[in-house]
Amino acid sequence: MNNPKYLYKSEDYFKIYEFVSEGKKGSVKKMVQFTETGTENVFNLAFGDYDEQTNSINDLRVTNNGDSLKVLATVASTVYAFIEKHPNAWVFATGSTNVRTRLYRMGITNNLVEIKEDFDVYGFTQEGIWEEFIV
Amino acid sequence: MTIEQLNSSKVPVIVIDKKLEQFRDKILFPEKLEKANEILSKAGLPNRKK
Repeated sequence: MNNPKYLYKSEDYFKIYEFVSEGKKGSVKKMVQFTETGTENVFNLAFGDYDEQTNSINDLRVTNNGDSLKVLATVASTVYAFIEKHPNAWVFATGSTNVRTRLYRMGITNNLVEIKEDFDVYGFTQEGIWEEFIV
Repeated sequence: MTIEQLNSSKVPVIVIDKKLEQFRDKILFPEKLEKANEILSKAGLPNRKK
């Protein structure tokens, strides 16, 4: 995707990423993590604001820094980096709220043609079944 | 990797920061992971067409 993104750092396993969101609320450190789930080769993707004072993550806070598309593009970019190290992995992702899940779904739909060049993408429906995202 | 390969690659150039290793064994988003495991245990993975 050619959308603007933040530069980010990672560690050797490419499972943890850090970048700084810059906007009307100032500088906000964000972290992305790919965590092993109980299913072999499936990793959960999550991201949120990192609070250096409490050394904790908050994925419910509305940062409101005016850069949500840039943040999402940055997080999406980490998937490419992660898969480079873990080429056979599945990546599972959901929003911390229904509104956010819908936002991420819209982001996938808007970039689906490009995404499907490299990935198979599935959504989990309210009926409890997997459906492929189609163009 | 050549400059042309770098420019056309979808994988970005990434800075490695060893300070991030402190988070390697920590689960930063436990609720999200729990939700993921709940769905995966019930529904499994999608059947891939290929």
